[in-house]
Formats: sequence, C-alpha cells, structure tokens
Amino acid sequence: MRALTAGEVISRMKSNLGIPWRDTTYRDTFKFGGPDTEVRGIATAMFCTFDIVKRAAEAGYNMILPHEVTYWNDRDDTSIVSSDPLFKTKVDFMREHNIVIFRVHDHMHSQRPDFLYVGLARALGLDGKYETAPESHRFVIPEITLGALASDFQKRVGGRAVRVVGDPNAKVRRLQLGVGYATPSVNSPDVDVVVSGEQQETDGGFDSPEYVLDAVSLGIVKGWIMLGHAISEEQGMLEMAQWVKSFTPEVPVQLIRGGEPFWTPK
Amino acid sequence: MKPISRREFVALTTAVPFAVPAILQSRAAPTAQEVVDRIKQRLGIEWKADGVDTFKAGDPMTPVKGIATSAMATLDVLKQAVKAGANFVITCEPTFYSRSDAAAPGGGRRGGPAAPDAVFTAKNEFIKGNQLVVWRFSDHWRQRTPDPLSIGLADTLGWGKLRAADDRRRIAIPATALEALVSDLKKKLNSRGGIRVIGDPRLRVATIGLLPGTTPVQSALSLFPLVDGIIAGEVREWETVELARDKVTAGERKSLILLGRVVSENPGMNECAKWLKDIAPEVRTTWIPVADPYWRPA
Repeated sequence: MRALTAGEVISRMKSNLGIPWRDTTYRDTFKFGGPDTEVRGIATAMFCTFDIVKRAAEAGYNMILPHEVTYWNDRDDTSIVSSDPLFKTKVDFMREHNIVIFRVHDHMHSQRPDFLYVGLARALGLDGKYETAPESHRFVIPEITLGALASDFQKRVGGRAVRVVGDPNAKVRRLQLGVGYATPSVNSPDVDVVVSGEQQETDGGFDSPEYVLDAVSLGIVKGWIMLGHAISEEQGMLEMAQWVKSFTPEVPVQLIRGGEPFWTPK
Repeated sequence: MKPISRREFVALTTAVPFAVPAILQSRAAPTAQEVVDRIKQRLGIEWKADGVDTFKAGDPMTPVKGIATSAMATLDVLKQAVKAGANFVITCEPTFYSRSDAAAPGGGRRGGPAAPDAVFTAKNEFIKGNQLVVWRFSDHWRQRTPDPLSIGLADTLGWGKLRAADDRRRIAIPATALEALVSDLKKKLNSRGGIRVIGDPRLRVATIGLLPGTTPVQSALSLFPLVDGIIAGEVREWETVELARDKVTAGERKSLILLGRVVSENPGMNECAKWLKDIAPEVRTTWIPVADPYWRPA
C-alpha cells in the first residue's frame, strides 16, 4: 500500500470540508515540512508549542494540525523570530523528527459546524437544547449566579486562570459564547454574560471589561468570563481529530492537549 | 460682568501681587484646553494630531477646578473624580468602550441605527450633569523617555533606585523565587484576580524587564535575553505567552507575569498626576487608581 503523505491528508481535508478552499489564506498553510512527508500519525493541537511538538514526536504522530501558530506570531513570519536561539532549537527538533505542520484556522471557523464552538459548548456542559437557534452560540440556561457559573465552567475545563468581570452575585441566564479571540461584545441587550477565550482589555472595537464595570456601577446585569485562548479552543480540536480520522483511516489520529498555560498567585 | 482676558488678568496680578480678590483668584484657573496646550508644549514629544489623545467629552473651554488622572475613565473613576473636586479627567484608556471612543454605541446590524444603550446614556448624563471634561493621554505620554509607565510601575514595586544605569530596560532586584515575587506584586498593585504567570514557581528571579500596557511579541523577544522575568500588562496568548511557554520547555530559565493592561498602567498615571503639578499649579491634581477589573472563580 502506498504511504500516506501530508499532501494527501490536506487534499482529503479540502474535499471533505464542504466549503471551497480559499488559497488566499496565509494562516492555513504548511509551517514546517511539506506535502511529500510521509505521515505515520496525525495530532491535532490548539497551540503548536514546543511541548506539543515533542509529545507528538514521542508518541509517533509526525503530522501536526494546530489551530494556532508555531512561531509566536499570527503570520508565522519567521523573520521576526529567527534571531532568538529558541527558533533554531524548535526547528532543529522538528527536522530531526521528520515533523510536518499544517495550520487549520480560517477554514475551521468557516466550516459548518465550527468545531471550536461545538467542542467548547460540549466541554462547558452547554446542552444543545439551551441554544436559541443552531449556530447562534447563544444559550438561555436555568438562572444561576455569575460566580457559580464561572466556578462550574472553570472546573469543567480544568482552568486555573479563568478571569471574570462583573458582580459575582448577579443572576444570569442568557449566555453568548465566543472562542479564542473571537469574543462577542457584551453590550447586546439580550445577553447577560459573554464567555470566551481572550480579548484585549481596552482600545479595541468594543471594550467589554470597561463596559461591564460601568454596568455593575449602574446595577445593570452584565458578566464577562474569559477562559483563556488556549483553554477555549483546545476543546474543539477533539472534534477536529475525530473528523480527520474519518478520512485518514490508515493512521492514528489524536488530540494532544496543552492544557492550562497559566498559574495564578493565591 | 465683562470677562477679563488672560492678558488683562496677568497685568492685574502683576500690578497688585498681594491683593488678588477672590473673584480674580478663581479666574486664575486655566481651561482644559489651556492645560492640554501646556502639556503639548512641555512634553518634549512631537505632537501627532491623528492619534487617540483628544478630548472625548465635555467643553474644552471649561475652567478647570481640579484634575484627576486615571488609567481608565470608568464611571466609578468619574464619580471619585467629582468627589475629589476635579472636573477635568485625564485618562490613559478609552471612556466609551472602544478605540474610536464614540459616545454612542456603533450602528446596529445591516447598517441600522443602534438601539439606545443604558450604560452609554448614563455615562454621558453623568459627565454632562457634573460638567466634566474628559481628555485621553496615552500615545504621547508613553513616548516620553524614560517611559513614565515603567517608571511608575518600578517605583510602586519598590525598585525605583534599583534600575541598572547601563540599560533602563533591565532592573536588578534581590534574587527572589518567582512565586514569592508574584505574591508580593499582587499585594503592592492591589490586584484581585488579574495576575497570570508562566514559569517555574521556584525559579530564582534577579533581573526584571517591564512592559506595561499592551505589547507585541517583538518587545518580549528583545527583552527576554536580558532578564529572568518579564512583567507585562497585556500580551497576545498566541504571541508572547506561547513564546514564554516554549522557552520554559526548552529549559531556558525565564518567566512571564501578566498583570492586566489597566492595572499595569495605574502607576504610570500616578506619575502623570505628579508631573501635572508643575504644568497646572493653579489646581489640585489627584490620581485615581482603577480597581483590578478581574476576579477569579472559587
């Protein structure tokens, strides 16, 4: 039997995607290795950290499909980072272990369903029956305090550095889910709480933390739960692994988790 | 009563320096615009009009009774400013929840008008009702050398005199375990739940680099070789956080402490208040710290 190549994996991914592939993407491309590399196993991952690369190599998964970057910037522009010796260390390791990396970002978010939302809702225990409409990422749940909700979410995803803005005692029901840096604005009138990964604190298109602080001053119920970028999107890479497995039966496919990156002081 | 112009007023006070009637003393107050003009003159930075450092609310011609500086003009900060007798608020970050600082929410979907928003409305009414003037001072303030946000942060952490003379980016501190250092930071900055850390808690940290505010990965890449730990306000998780994790994995003895953007900028706006005392000596300037917006779930 002919060996499975990385190029063949990507080709099958494109034909199974259900939407046209956009060649204009700078994100969804090979970041290391190329189409001719022979694939022994496929790992999906959230961030393509050095730790994930090492663990993938150790487990015999030499193709990595990360949702996020390899070289610490969105364009994976190596000219920014190549002067740091760490760049060479990481690249040398990947070369020695015949690693091939292809980022899956833009097309994951365009695909229906978007596995990142499916995975996060599953991990948070947000049952589909609570979603107001399919793909709305808006959930109306039984009333709970913001503090209890954040606690529950933190336990479910194994977070150690979940951050919350708002009144812990405020009773909330209407949730808008975001993932990664795609954090919805909190000022929508039919939303009590936004739950997402990461967003700049201020000076953006809409600064939810300041808005929530002011809403609290006015006694208006608003809450903002930031799970962390890695935590919020790692969940859906499990669905991604299952989907990739469906069209690459020849090799093992598995999510390799990076987990919570941060610790916090007592 | 006919208003007395500044020039006439100067002539009057020069003529009778020890007998200025109370009514004229109150005239001594500069307008918000005049304070801003003095700032532009004294800052030593070429002023760029197309940035974010502009008036956000109120009438710039309002005579200033008192100045309040803050990292972010939240409603709570505005209330404290009024209590402190200030009607001119100088903020490092936006007032109306976006870089554009538009005083009303953006348009609705499909180009329709936005629905009235109770939070925007209440904030506008509070500003109007108290005749406040709000001006943003961010881009130009942090361009000063040495960077006043780093100076303020170092002073607050008790490292004001420990700055290495050869390179201001690198602060030598008594060697401390990362975990103890972080606990100390938390206390000194009144942080609630915003601090997050990458690195071995037992790592001995003896050199520190400061990146207050928000910074791209380039800043961390240039600073990491010089220091054991970077204390930053806000960075992107896919940039500096991943970089720090990879350094730890590769066995480099490095650490990254994230304070939160606004908390990291608080001390720099205290510096601003101190600096303004000479700029606007006629009025009292008060620094109002923003409480850490974040808490952590139980």
